[in-house]
Amino acid sequence: MSKAIEYTYFPGCMIPFRLPHFELTMREVLRRLNIELIADEGHTCCPEPTTFTGVDYEAWLTVGARNIAVSESTGRDTMALCSGCFHTLSMVRYTLQSDNETRERLNKRLKRIGMIATGEVAVKNILHVLHEDVGLERIRKSIVQPLKNLSIAAHYGCHLVRPIEATHMDDAEDPMWMEDLIEVTGAKPVDYPDKMACCGAPISPSDESKSFVLAGEKLLKIRDAGADAIVLVCPTCYTQMEMQQKKAIEHLDPEFSLPILYLGEMMALAMGMSDLVVENARRYHRVKIQPLLEKMGVGK
Amino acid sequence: MNTDSLDTSRLMRNQFKLRFAKCELIDLTPSSVSSDLEFRNWILRQPEGKTLRRCYQCGRCTGACPIAEIDQSFNPRLFLEKVILADESLAENQLIWTCLTCEQCEVRCPEHVKIPQILILAKVRGLVAGNTPQTALDRARTILSEGRTIQVSDPMLKTRDKMGLPSLGSPPVKQLAEALKDLGLVEKLENIESIYGGDRDE
Repeated sequence: MSKAIEYTYFPGCMIPFRLPHFELTMREVLRRLNIELIADEGHTCCPEPTTFTGVDYEAWLTVGARNIAVSESTGRDTMALCSGCFHTLSMVRYTLQSDNETRERLNKRLKRIGMIATGEVAVKNILHVLHEDVGLERIRKSIVQPLKNLSIAAHYGCHLVRPIEATHMDDAEDPMWMEDLIEVTGAKPVDYPDKMACCGAPISPSDESKSFVLAGEKLLKIRDAGADAIVLVCPTCYTQMEMQQKKAIEHLDPEFSLPILYLGEMMALAMGMSDLVVENARRYHRVKIQPLLEKMGVGK
Repeated sequence: MNTDSLDTSRLMRNQFKLRFAKCELIDLTPSSVSSDLEFRNWILRQPEGKTLRRCYQCGRCTGACPIAEIDQSFNPRLFLEKVILADESLAENQLIWTCLTCEQCEVRCPEHVKIPQILILAKVRGLVAGNTPQTALDRARTILSEGRTIQVSDPMLKTRDKMGLPSLGSPPVKQLAEALKDLGLVEKLENIESIYGGDRDE
């Protein structure tokens, strides 16, 4: 096999330390596609875009620019698995590219620590890498266990997609890259109303009950559309819709249960790595994924 | 006429229209508006805030907002109007922290006004008065002291090791502090307490 294609991996905080099965499954999926993720110890928190921005926007830009500078020094494209990290890095990169005054101001601070950020090196999310860089045809060839009987709904989450001028995704209201990936795995993509509706998580620090109203409504809409499962990318959406599913929906339907898969888990299942998913399911899934595994014919 | 004065006259025109439009959402008597031109001008100077000059108060933002749908007191159009009218009370209004930053308003805005960013600027403005959820302050402190939003524990590191995931080292927090020193954020965070708390991280 030819030499692997390398990306600088921006780890962030949530995925590597709270939800490491995201990183584990996606690294293995990418290895099958001849891609390696190289971490750089110089990175810090992105910083997260939902509360730190409202504490000190200028500090947010500065820390983000420092992370971009670290990335640029590696000479590789950067890929962030987390949607929050991706959002921050792509927003800061867009600012560096489009706003000379701010770029100069931020670089004055970076100069004190011997760094410079230009915004010239690409920042990608996992959909850019899988859908655009690798391409559906190559992924199709690596599918050994098609998810034939499953209907899966894609939840994109806001920060992966918007604003489109910074994220370079396919569409701000009706993105389709994740549905394409669902189809390639052999499952049936499920369309549902208000696909881009927010999971509610960003406001849990200020008003948890409202955040659960939004999560609950979203979960109901997806179930009513006939999905066996939801696939998503963002660790914050996962925490809201998977880890806190019961809390979000028990007032609407105490019996509700809708399995949630991380994109890397769905791809790993279809690439024949169900052991990797099953081994970690008990620890990182509160909603049982057993019904899914049975439906696709993977052991008990 | 330079662009600045052109924009100012457009703004004044907007305000004039607003004052005489049938408007039941805001009481325009002088006593209810704490006029603070400095707040408005500060926002209009920021790259994101400049986009507010294009707002003609059509209200599509409010129509698109998922929070406005479940809470009628959350009204993005009204928030923008308050900034235009130099009403700084917005920055001390806890409601702005229930903005999801989902950007649905901006996607639907015919003028692509950076509405979520403008609310973020108002949040920043409210920090001094303590109008910030406790969790947001805690997270900011952890980011500055640890370089991450969370405290990394030994069991977390062991799990990564067991999974065969590479070490990520310790973030260079001293370098971070050096880059940020002129902003005085550390000092601000040492002195500020949230006046309304909010829900804590799980």
